[in-house]
Amino acid sequence: MKLLKTLSRIPNFLWINLAMIIIFAMISDRYMTVHNMINILQQGSVLLIVSAAMTMVILSEGLDLTLGAVMTMAGIVSVLALRAGWSVPMAVIFGILSGAFMGALTGTLVAIYKMPPFIATLGMQGVIYGFTLAFTNSAAIFTSNPDFIVLGSKIGNYIPVAAIFAAIIFVAVWAILHHTKFGRYTVAIGGNEAGTRLSGVNTTFWKWFVYVFAGIVSAIGGIILAARLEAADPIVGVGWEFDAIAATILGGTSFTKGKGDVSGTVLGVLLITVLRNGMNVVGTPTIWQPALTGTIIIFAIAFQVWMSMREDARR
Amino acid sequence: MGNSEYLLEVKNVSKVFPGVKALDNVSFDLKPGEVHILLGENGAGKSTLMKVIAGAYSPDGGELIIDGQPAANLNPRKAQDLGVGIIYQEFNLVPYMNVAENIFIDQLPVKHFFRIDHARMHREAKEILASLNMNVPTTAKTMDISTAQQQMVEVAKALTHKSRILIMDEPTASLTDREIDQLFLTIRELRAKGMGIIYISHRLQELKEIGDRVTVLRDGKYIGTRNLAEVTIESLVTMMVGREVGELYERVDVTPGEEVLHVEKLSSKAVGLHDVSMNLRRGEIVGLAGLVGSGRTELVRAIFGADRHDAGQVTIFGENMKGSAPKDSVRNRVGLLPEDRKRQGLALILSVAENTLMASLDKIFPGGLVNARKEKDLVDGYIKSLRIQTPSGSRSAQYLSGGNQQKVVLAKWLATESEIFIFDEPTRGIDVGAKREIYGFMNRLKQKNCAVLMISSELPEVIGMSDRIFVMREGSIVAEVPHDEATQEMIISYAMGADVAPARRSAADGARPLPKADA
Repeated sequence: MKLLKTLSRIPNFLWINLAMIIIFAMISDRYMTVHNMINILQQGSVLLIVSAAMTMVILSEGLDLTLGAVMTMAGIVSVLALRAGWSVPMAVIFGILSGAFMGALTGTLVAIYKMPPFIATLGMQGVIYGFTLAFTNSAAIFTSNPDFIVLGSKIGNYIPVAAIFAAIIFVAVWAILHHTKFGRYTVAIGGNEAGTRLSGVNTTFWKWFVYVFAGIVSAIGGIILAARLEAADPIVGVGWEFDAIAATILGGTSFTKGKGDVSGTVLGVLLITVLRNGMNVVGTPTIWQPALTGTIIIFAIAFQVWMSMREDARR
Repeated sequence: MGNSEYLLEVKNVSKVFPGVKALDNVSFDLKPGEVHILLGENGAGKSTLMKVIAGAYSPDGGELIIDGQPAANLNPRKAQDLGVGIIYQEFNLVPYMNVAENIFIDQLPVKHFFRIDHARMHREAKEILASLNMNVPTTAKTMDISTAQQQMVEVAKALTHKSRILIMDEPTASLTDREIDQLFLTIRELRAKGMGIIYISHRLQELKEIGDRVTVLRDGKYIGTRNLAEVTIESLVTMMVGREVGELYERVDVTPGEEVLHVEKLSSKAVGLHDVSMNLRRGEIVGLAGLVGSGRTELVRAIFGADRHDAGQVTIFGENMKGSAPKDSVRNRVGLLPEDRKRQGLALILSVAENTLMASLDKIFPGGLVNARKEKDLVDGYIKSLRIQTPSGSRSAQYLSGGNQQKVVLAKWLATESEIFIFDEPTRGIDVGAKREIYGFMNRLKQKNCAVLMISSELPEVIGMSDRIFVMREGSIVAEVPHDEATQEMIISYAMGADVAPARRSAADGARPLPKADA
């Protein structure tokens, strides 16, 4: 019930989404097809997974620019493990653990050494990409293990496995935020870290744990992406953290106050995915796509920020 | 410039927020050369009215007349141009910039087209400060000067805008008595120059000293305007609360029990504490008096484990708290109600319920899963027993009044089943009605054999409530005074040092002055 209420409260740019869908549908008759809708679902799933992780971090008044790099690394670790003869479950778990490990390192810098998240995670991003390039000799590693590739496939040609994972992760993050101590502390740290510490909460630990959690979740996203591409690419994750931040902010989560919810993030993910997919389907020249999508996303964020400022002023 | 008798007339102004009528047909006026006090409990509409006058809110009805001219569609910039200056409780100063730069922040003097004319800026800043008898170096960074001096800078800033109407929101809230005297001198000087000053205050003692007229608001409604020379404080309080207020402080007698907190020679270089020793027993309220900056908050933060100390020992319920953090103190049944409720006591964006259970989630939900029904039942219980005014537990804490916010912080520590309660300025910024309630809760804790340590700058409060009073000065405890011997004069003289009030010292026969530690 609370979920529905939260969703209904953020209708701000749903109509932007609708407008975009209508425009794309009018330009191309290949747009409103079942095939393309499944495509959107497929493409949006991984972004939703990473964005859910980013939402947790931003709610704690943090920022994690390593998430794209962590995705990349988890995919590489899993694929390398497969090629080394590991079983699929073991390889996947190993990939997820690598994400947890990187999250733990990042969290140590931010929570224990109190480095500003922007600098700490930007630095870690460089470190992780450095390792992925070294591990792969800067070339994609392919895999054809059918048990692994199934993670990026579709059930009965319709439902992407990624979408199922995304749904599970979304519900899990929502439940964590609303019904667990971990979620409560995350938001409290974002809302008032000093006050939360004075309430006897071990804010250092929970802040650290937010980054570990984000590392685990984005590693799952990275592994699914590698399965879909049937390859681990050393730079596949570049830019995902920006999309995840954009989706989070578009979803009404505030950078500074511990205000927001992962249910809004779904709408942000939808907007970005519809945009990127539509550009492709209607045949926008590839070289112009990043400029156009970037511009539209920035305008959408400006609109969202303006709306929430107006809302604050009315109180 | 108009030739009206009034600098400002507010006529039948209303302002509605969703669910609340913050101002209901309120009128107010201000003459040149007067200090007009705006009085009312928290939530009475004082801040809203102030923001309407300053152009921060636009009223939903009524009109504003400034210098005889109707002032419609005000915004902060326009109000400033019309001569309205406002000093909020939280100052708007840039901490890393110096005093002169802050004073001229929006009109820096420039020469050669774009270079800041530092010489002229400092010269003019000095002139303004001197005209107010303010002694602040113009080259000091505002982060390095005292709160009182920061306030002076705000006043000077308002003067550079040729303000004729100056609104001051609880200007004495964080000042020491001496600083208040200085501020009052400044205010009188401004008044003599023909400025009109709107003065918002909670401190009844100072009204007669500084005010000419007073307007009382209650629940967003205009109650009345009086000449301060012609009314008693009691009648004003009655106007404020709409009922008779009896004796504010009520003492209950409890025989003190075992010692629960023992502090032995605690020192900290970082926060300036020297060899502090004190104790606290069950069933007593111990006051911690002293000037702002004497180390009281620093002491309780060190006891609570919020800041580290370098030497000495803190023992709580027999446990040595060496190297402890707040989480250890909370586990050991200590609760801290900080002075700065909004920044340290609560996470404002979170709900009343979330704040209430913030410290006790481990205890109540050991599995880490929060059961919504159990949470609601618990929180509703506290809302009822502490009479917290809120539509529901799910309301964001930021919308509660100061008194109700304080009750939420108290509920937080009741939920952890704390037995030592540390109140830091428990009633600052809280209206009279809620004050009485807070005192009642403190007495109830005492009767339940809990121990209460209370920092207070309000002498009547510290004397009225405490069984024993420790007085601090410059990071040391300089005296321990039992309740029945305490007088305001005695505590002030200890707090300020013998050199400040040598004559008063002899009055303190009964008290035991503690030798000051060698620095």
